[in-house]
Amino acid sequence: MGLTSGVFGWLMVAVAAGSLAAVVWAWPRVARRRLPYLAARLVMVAVSQLLVTAAFLVWLNGYFSFYDSWSQLLGTSQPAQAVSARHAAAGPAKQLVVDGSRPGPLPDAGRPAPLAAPPGGLPRPGPPSSPAVSGRLMQIAITGQRTGLSSGPGYVYLPPQYFQPAYRHTRFPVVLALTGYPGVAGGIVTRLELPSVAASLLAARQIRPTVFVMLSVSPLFPYDTECTDIPAGPQVESFFAQDVTRAVEHAFRVTASPAGWGVVGYSTGGFCATKLAMMYPTRFSAAVSMAGYYQAYGGRFPRDLWGGSVAYRHENSPAWRLRHLPAPPVSVLVTSSRTGERSLPGTLAFLHEIRPPMRGYSLIIPQGGHNFRTWNRELAPSLEWLSRHLS
Amino acid sequence: MGPRSQLLMTVLAAAAAGLLGGMLWLWPVLARRGVTFVLLRIAMLGALQVSVLGMVFVSVNRTYEFYSSWSDLLGTNRVAGAIVAVGHQGGQPASAQPSSLVTVPGAGTAHRARTARGASGPAQRAGPGAGQVVTVQFSGPVSGIKVRGYVYLPPGYQRVPHPLPVIVVISSQAASRTGLYSAPQVAATATAQMRAGRMAPALITVLPPSVARRSGRGCLDVPGGPQAATFFTQDLPQALAHAYRVATAPSGWAVLGGTGGGYCALQLATAPAGPFGVAVAPPGTYAAPPGSAGSGAGPLVRRQDNLLWRLRYWPQPPVRVLFAGPGRAREFGSLVRPPMTVASARLAAGPMPLAPVLDWVSHALRSPS
Repeated sequence: MGLTSGVFGWLMVAVAAGSLAAVVWAWPRVARRRLPYLAARLVMVAVSQLLVTAAFLVWLNGYFSFYDSWSQLLGTSQPAQAVSARHAAAGPAKQLVVDGSRPGPLPDAGRPAPLAAPPGGLPRPGPPSSPAVSGRLMQIAITGQRTGLSSGPGYVYLPPQYFQPAYRHTRFPVVLALTGYPGVAGGIVTRLELPSVAASLLAARQIRPTVFVMLSVSPLFPYDTECTDIPAGPQVESFFAQDVTRAVEHAFRVTASPAGWGVVGYSTGGFCATKLAMMYPTRFSAAVSMAGYYQAYGGRFPRDLWGGSVAYRHENSPAWRLRHLPAPPVSVLVTSSRTGERSLPGTLAFLHEIRPPMRGYSLIIPQGGHNFRTWNRELAPSLEWLSRHLS
Repeated sequence: MGPRSQLLMTVLAAAAAGLLGGMLWLWPVLARRGVTFVLLRIAMLGALQVSVLGMVFVSVNRTYEFYSSWSDLLGTNRVAGAIVAVGHQGGQPASAQPSSLVTVPGAGTAHRARTARGASGPAQRAGPGAGQVVTVQFSGPVSGIKVRGYVYLPPGYQRVPHPLPVIVVISSQAASRTGLYSAPQVAATATAQMRAGRMAPALITVLPPSVARRSGRGCLDVPGGPQAATFFTQDLPQALAHAYRVATAPSGWAVLGGTGGGYCALQLATAPAGPFGVAVAPPGTYAAPPGSAGSGAGPLVRRQDNLLWRLRYWPQPPVRVLFAGPGRAREFGSLVRPPMTVASARLAAGPMPLAPVLDWVSHALRSPS
């Protein structure tokens, strides 16, 4: 039974409610003033409280889109691959697989379809479900041809124009969106609501038609590698910069030019977005870092991410790169909040080090914590900015 | 008392402790029959539960720093901000100059590369239909490396209808005039093979393995030092793509390691970020980069410099490898698994020893694996 499945959640709620009812019902049976009865009361209350708390935690996990499965939560998924990066199957695996078994607005089916054309939008030439009207959201999985890493469940949003005859030969720009850590790609769909925000902006003609690829920032979940090519280990940075970009170019009608590729992320995803653009300006020309940080700090991995090399750690820190290496020809938008966001000082320091040909932009809102609601508020201006910087 | 405050945590803990103690103490009183007492029990359990869940929420919120204020949590905070460009040109915000905002990576560099070509390029023409070799100065915007190299344009380059495949020759003989892997020799052989119809038109660039001072001869990224691998995998493809009409996919890019460049070729071909689909090297062991330096900086960084280690522990990329020349690369060859393939060839006798190698490379580029 899946950690995030509705059945499991409701079962937890039922068990918790049942335990509370049992305590109320059994109350008079342990009411005597003697030590064994006192102990029995304590155990009853503690068990029911724990069950309710467990149900609450399952709900919190779903709400914040932390962990998608038990193996992720318990850390039992692919630790061997993480440590030695040994490739299990050497067969010619498909680079990008569209998983048709879970199409549509995923994975939280409780919400109204986010991709419906906005009210008062353009005249609708087809039925509401037609992809030429509302675009299409698909679940995908990307397996890196050269790194052997797997993205886990991800999503692609193809804009309505992708399906319209007038754009039949257009190769679209691409925005790669990365989660924070811990985080599953579904959070970008249901919590950040990127596809629905993008659909509204598209309908209002505030952004140009763009393909959005949404992935978890940690292909080695539950480990966090800060998108690093780990010496003698998994090459996560190359996975995003080379394998993912090539697989997407191969599978969809998108541009291969770096001028048409942007990357956006929140929290750890913001760190990765900045780092990827700065280290691979031949792949990405614009990055948005929402509440990101700018110094590599080590993530969460069984061993040192930089193979014990201080110099290599520096090279993986966007802030250090700004001060010591040639500035790359990319544009970076950083977001933070005046109150509620601890990353503000680091963000401002990073911003002030930016020099040409790199371009820095900031979106600092008065108040907002490290949460989806804040990033959701920053998303529309960020996507408009990206649209202006991609061609 | 914000949703992240220690005070709130203390208040909730005190409330939970008080409620638990009171409940255990008042248990017999609440055990009486009657709807009132059942409701009181439920209220008591509910109050305890609320304070416990409150503590759970505050501790999760403190760990992940989600919500800084109640307005943040309740979503009543709707004030947005504006995007501000950080100006670096005379204090002017960048947005004031819309034309300069468009920064296509490397566009400036490509122009520079072209001018440099014009300035430093004593084009060596060997008669019409022979193709031409141009001396060029590559300056990589990503690695910051500037290096002199040679570009061979095949006969009728302008008339080839499709993007040209690229062969990157890396050899310490790059700057020589007569060496087997020197630009004039490679160009002459390529022209002859193309004229004979055994080789499809390709752009060939000839470079030395040491592209920067202190970079060693392994074409590696040295932590804290020269980023030779970045030059070969990012700067070089981009510079060529900007200046000439060349293929972009790895299936259209070959690296040919000559004397002193075999490790470079195989290293770049087996790198996860490598842009090459075809690689040629002289037979050898390739357990360590040439010279003593390597990429330094710790045993793990050095471990992956051993190409046999890479073959054992990293997924093998879809690259066709050819060992060209006398000798064998038994250990390397025995470790190769699909989708990587390995073959070997002898150099030809006579004035053009590289002829069969270029034929093979051209064929490998035409039929991507």
